[in-house]
Order: sequence, then C-alpha cells, then structure tokens
Amino acid sequence: MRKLLFVFILFCFVLVTTACASESKETSGTDEKNWEPEKPIELVAPAGAGGGWDTTARMAAKVFNETGIIEQDIGVVNKPGGGGAVGWAYVAGHDASPYNLFVASPPIVLIPLNGQSEYGHEDFTPLANMIADYAAFAVAKDAKWDNLNELFEDMKKDPESITVVGTSSPGSMDHIQFVQIAKAAGVDISKIKYVSDQDGVGLTQLLNGSVDVFSTGVSETVEQVKAGTIKVLGVTSEERLEGEVLEDFPTAKEQGIDATFVNWRGFFGPPNMDENAIKYYEEKFKKLSESEEFAEIRKQYGWDEMYMNSEEYKTFLDKQKEEIKTLLDELNLSK
Amino acid sequence: MGSIEGIMTGFQVAFSMQGILYVLIGVFVGTFIGMMPGLGPISAIAVMIPITFGMDPTSALVMMAGVYYGAIFGGSTSSILLNAPGVSGTVATSFDGYPMAQQGKAGKALAIAAISSFVGGTVSVVLLMLLAPVLSSVAISFGPPAYFALMFMGLTAITSLSEGSTIKALISAVVGFMVVTIGIDAQTGTQRFTFGNVNLLEGLDFLVIALGLFALAEVCSLVINRKDLSMENAHKLGSLRITKKEFKEMSGPMTRQSFLGFILGVLPGAGATIASFIAYITEKKIAKHPEEFGKGSIKGVAAPETANNAATSGAFVPLLSLGIPGSGTTAVMLGAFLVLGVQPGPLLMTDRPEIFWGIIASMYIGNVFLLILNLPLIPYIAKVLKIPRPLLISLVIMFSIIGVYAISFNTFDLYMLLLFGVVGFIMRLYAFPAPPFILAFILGGMMEQAFRQSLTISNGSLFIFVQEPIALTLLIIAFLSFIFPLIKLLRKRQA
Repeated sequence: MRKLLFVFILFCFVLVTTACASESKETSGTDEKNWEPEKPIELVAPAGAGGGWDTTARMAAKVFNETGIIEQDIGVVNKPGGGGAVGWAYVAGHDASPYNLFVASPPIVLIPLNGQSEYGHEDFTPLANMIADYAAFAVAKDAKWDNLNELFEDMKKDPESITVVGTSSPGSMDHIQFVQIAKAAGVDISKIKYVSDQDGVGLTQLLNGSVDVFSTGVSETVEQVKAGTIKVLGVTSEERLEGEVLEDFPTAKEQGIDATFVNWRGFFGPPNMDENAIKYYEEKFKKLSESEEFAEIRKQYGWDEMYMNSEEYKTFLDKQKEEIKTLLDELNLSK
Repeated sequence: MGSIEGIMTGFQVAFSMQGILYVLIGVFVGTFIGMMPGLGPISAIAVMIPITFGMDPTSALVMMAGVYYGAIFGGSTSSILLNAPGVSGTVATSFDGYPMAQQGKAGKALAIAAISSFVGGTVSVVLLMLLAPVLSSVAISFGPPAYFALMFMGLTAITSLSEGSTIKALISAVVGFMVVTIGIDAQTGTQRFTFGNVNLLEGLDFLVIALGLFALAEVCSLVINRKDLSMENAHKLGSLRITKKEFKEMSGPMTRQSFLGFILGVLPGAGATIASFIAYITEKKIAKHPEEFGKGSIKGVAAPETANNAATSGAFVPLLSLGIPGSGTTAVMLGAFLVLGVQPGPLLMTDRPEIFWGIIASMYIGNVFLLILNLPLIPYIAKVLKIPRPLLISLVIMFSIIGVYAISFNTFDLYMLLLFGVVGFIMRLYAFPAPPFILAFILGGMMEQAFRQSLTISNGSLFIFVQEPIALTLLIIAFLSFIFPLIKLLRKRQA
C-alpha cells in the first residue's frame, strides 16, 4: 500500500517538475557576432496535440535534431487556446528571447483582424516560412456541380440554397479561403451561407447531405476522393499539385478565376529579437527546407516547399493582411 | 467476402507475442493514467506519440488504442473513491459510485465498475467487428437537426437527475447553459462573456467544472462536517463479492447500455461522456425504484460504466472507417495514425487490413487484461480510503490541481477550478444539485451550435426539425418522456 501511494506521489512530482522545467527563465541573447543557442530551444505550437501546427512543429524539431542542423535540443510545447491567442500571448511575454519560437499560419493574420487576439504578426519577429498548403472545396460525389464555375453560378442565382461548411468560425481560415475565391468569381460574398462545425464533423455533414460544400485543406480530401465519396471542384494553388490524386484536382485559376489562397506555415520568434539570432535561424531554417529529410516529410503530408527569409516573409504578411482586411470589411466582420 | 479473412488476419496480429505485449503495455499505462484524477486519455496518448516513432505501425496503434480504452476503464476509480473524476466520461459514475463508497461499499462499487466496463467493452467490440463495415453509414446519418434533437432528448432528464426541488434543478441547469456559452461563438466568431480575457476565448474545460463542482466542493463539505458520524463507514472497503441478486440487477443495464453506448459512440461528437449520462438517465427513467439512484444504486454505477466503455469502441467506427475523429481524444489518435504513416479512412480496411482488424481484435484481449488487472488490484487501490482524512483531502486537492493544470498548462484554469469549487460548495449549502449543471454544460454547447447550424441551413425555418425522420423520432421520444410522468401524476391524483 505504502509503495503504491509512493508511486502515485512520485508520478505527480515528475509531472509537476517537468511542467515547471519548460517555464524556466531565459537569459537574453549574447552580444557576439555569431549567435549560437547555448541551451534547449522551446518551440511552441499554439494549439493542442495532433493538429497542423503541432505536426509542423514536431516534424521540424525532429529533422533539426536528427540531422544535426541544430545541435541543441528542441522541445515542442503545446499552448492551446483562443485559436492561437493564448500561445501568442505566451511567446510575446518572452521579449527578445531567442529560445522561444512558435509555428504560425494565416490565423495569426486573421484572428487579430477578427478582434480575437491583441497580438498580430507585426508584434513578433518572422524568422522563415517553410511550407505551403492549399485549400480545397469539395462536394458530394453525386452533387450537380462539376466545377467551380457551375457552383458559383448557382450561388449568384440563389445564394439561399447553398450552404458551405468549414471547421473554423466565420472570418477565420476555412471561411476566408472560400470567400476569397468566390469573390474573384463575382459572387456577392455577404450572402454566402457559412456554418462552422468545430467538432470536426464538417465532412460528416457533407457526406450526409446536410450541407453542400466543404471548405477544407487539400490533404483532408484525398482519402475520400480515392474512395469515391466526394469530388473536389477546385483547389487554391497557383498550379496543379503533384502526387497521386492531387494532380487531378483542378485549380481555381485554370477555371478562369483569378485568385489563390496559400495556407503558409512558418516560424516566428518573440518581439525584438537580436539581429544575429534572426540570421542564425534564417540560415538554419533554409538548411532544413533544403534537406532531403524534410523533403521526405513534405511529401508524406502533401505540403509544398515555400521558403521565405525574415524580410520577404514580413512583406508577404503585410500584403496578406491588406487583402484579408478588404474581405472582412465587405463581410462586416472586421473589428 | 474479405471481411472474414480480414478478421482472421486481425486475430493473427493481435495474438502474436508482439501484439499481446503491446496491448498489455497499452492497457496498463492507460488504466494507470485513467486512475489518476484529472489525467485522461488525451494526455496519455499525446505523451505516447513520441515513443512510437519508428515502431511498427500496427503494434504502435494497438498500444495507443489500449491506452485509450484503458484510461476510460480505469477512470472510474477516482470518481468512486474520491468523487474526483479523472475522465469526463466517468463523471456520471460518481453519482452513485461515491455514495456507495461512503456507505462502506467501495470494494463492491469498484468491482461493479470493472465488470460492467468489461461487459460494455467486450460486447461493443463484438458489435464493432461484425458491423464496422456497415456502421460507417450510421456514423454520418446524423445531420445538425438530429444532433439538436439528441441533445434535447438528453436535457429532458434534467429534473430526473436530482432529488428535491425541481426549480432548483432548473436554475442549476440554466447556470450550466450560461457557463457553456463563454468563449468565441463558432457561428459568428463573436466573443461571449470573455471580458476581454484571452484565457476565456476557448471557453472553460469540462474537467475544470467537474473537478470544481464535485471534488473541491466535496472537500469543503468534508472539512466542515469533519465531526459527522454518519461518515464513519467511508473508509471501509467492504466486500468485493457481488451476489447473484445484485448481478441480476445489473445485467439489465449492462445489456441495454452496451448497445446504446456503442451507438452513441459511433456518432461523431457524442462520445463517452454523453453516452454515460444518457445511460444513467435512461436507466433511472425505466427503473422500478428510481428513488435509489443517486444514493448508491448498483444500476447507477453499472449503466454509465458500461456505456462509456462501449462508446469508446464505438468511436473507432468513424475514426477507422471514415477518418473522422469524433472527439478530442480520437482527434489525437488520428494524429498518432498520421505520424505513423497510416491514413484512416474508407480505404483503410482494404489497404491495411492488418491494422484495421488488428486494432479491433486486440481490443478483446485488452478488455480481458483490463479485467484481470483491475479486479485483483481493487483491495489495494481502495485502501486509498484508509489514508487519514486530512491527508486524503490534501491529496484530492493536489490531484485536482495537477489534473486541471495538465489540460493546457495554464495557471488561469486553476483559478477557475477554485472558483467552481466555491460555487459548488455554495450550491451544496443551499441544496442546488450539481448534476443538472454538468449535464447542461455537456449537452448545451453542442445543442446550441446544432440548433443554429440547422436554422442557417433551412434559412430560418423551424420545419427542418420535423422534416428529418431521425430528428423527429428523437423529439417525439423527448416529448413522451416529458409527458409520461405528468400523466402518471394525474392518474395518481384521480385514484
């Protein structure tokens, strides 16, 4: 009995101490010209385990350490909450620390615009973008539309008859990616009926006919298309994607709709990071992006290569923010 | 048909030395973590993911699945002994399990929980094996109106979940509804009752509320009533033996709830928590002596424990055959699949039969292991109750805090836990029942979202709820279960 209790308590102490260890204080970057990390690096995924951010962070950390591109240990820490806002607030609290990075994607532009986070991309140091993923718009296999133009024609005629489902709330990614393409096709975007299904059952609702269109990521559709339960009307990439099944998905562009949407994913650091540390990470992420091991992972998850250095990344983000702000204004969602 | 062949392959995988070993590791880790108040399958699986890097995918997934249902299996322990549920699916177990423990029947309560978990787990695996290929159509048969109707049906039980004042039960439920609206509203993206606090954006976690209202409130009462002699029995283990009569009594709920729990598990979004509550409610409704519920009824322990384990197997249907995760835990499981290079979905059964059927077949062994592991351990585990009261109370507080902190490593949640502990204690002082609060919290969020999704789809027409046959049927059942007690009451008065 004593023993059992002891194990109980021991287990808890281990839990508490490991949890605390990740919170330990930082010493700020050194003044040397060539900055090198002197202790383990914390990589925050501002979401729970298993999602896109988490996967990207874990895979990057794994390849960094396995290939020895970065020798220091990289620990991935999940900080879920507020669609990312909790994690961002956490990193923002480590001003100038070169040991607290996080992984980000379009929500860091979208969520502040929706008024759900006081921190936006301008408040952090963009280090490097790594990958690109794209949106896909899927319908049931027996739906009457065979391409995006047919769908958008019907949406113009009778917007009330078509419902779009996505996982995120209005004004967030699944909604905006659809709206951006629809707008380019001339649809009145303020009339689009969009429902959010946060239990991740958007696909279920498409399969049982409750909704008509599913706005999601390309990779989420592959298995269902293979099984012949849904068809993809269009993807938001510039050119056709590569890979089995993926290469059959028509782009919106080739259907005459001049718009794209990139679900980019990259890495950021806290505000006011030291120049030398930025340089260090830029270089390391470039090496990671060019490595064979990471190419293998991109292939496995169906991601495209999309490297940008800190400067390019910043310009890209500012431009995207402008575009999305216009859309949100039109949807009356801007805060 | 390749199905039989597939099942054979599955058993070969599961009964290989390697298969058995990994199942054993999985269920052992799972049941141990499940027993810890506040630690559930999500954290268990997330912790295991890095360990499985480089492992053979079948073994890894068999192990992960074992962690998952093992955690649900073991989760009842802390609900029964300490009134501190570790897994949301075992909250309903505490309604009768904890009173049993206080009456000095802790051993029996744990034995009932173990046996009904085993039955629920095993029956549902049989169902899973026989029906998995066809069940995927059941999993997608529920549209938003049907989900609304299902949750609505569950809610009609609010008053039956409590003794005493109906008004107080309803007030408690309304507060539960209000609390669940905290956070970003999914349909509009608007913040509700967040007071600009970033920590409230995603709403409150179920465990924060459950541990506050149950565990911490109980701790407060224990401290206040420390001289109360009626609690004398609380540290007794009592006999483990279940008499024939008792077994007969629990066989009804076990049979019914194995099926019902399984079906609810198959529906994405419903899952073990909702299944256990609905099981508890239905058994209470059809029981001859509903007044025993809440005071240490055997059925009240057997029903939710059967259902939550059955639902856990059910949840593998949408996960394996559609690639749709129906809950937070299965979402993490899906992540684990992808890390191992396995894509669950409609093609898994034909492309990787050894994985699909291997996992299912391993669940038989897993459930047997769990029973063997849990039953003999009961006398040792139940000795927790022998710990002197002051020490035990501090342990409950410590475990509750660790459990809540482990959800998102955010200290803000701890303040919320304390707040709900105080709320729970005040509710007790004024005899407001906590179960309706919890029920409204669990069902309310999904019910509201499903309601609004339905209305968006129908352009505001309420007819959508009666046009869909499933929704209509469920609403009629809800209506009847509401009307019947009234008719009974009227008859009694006339007589």
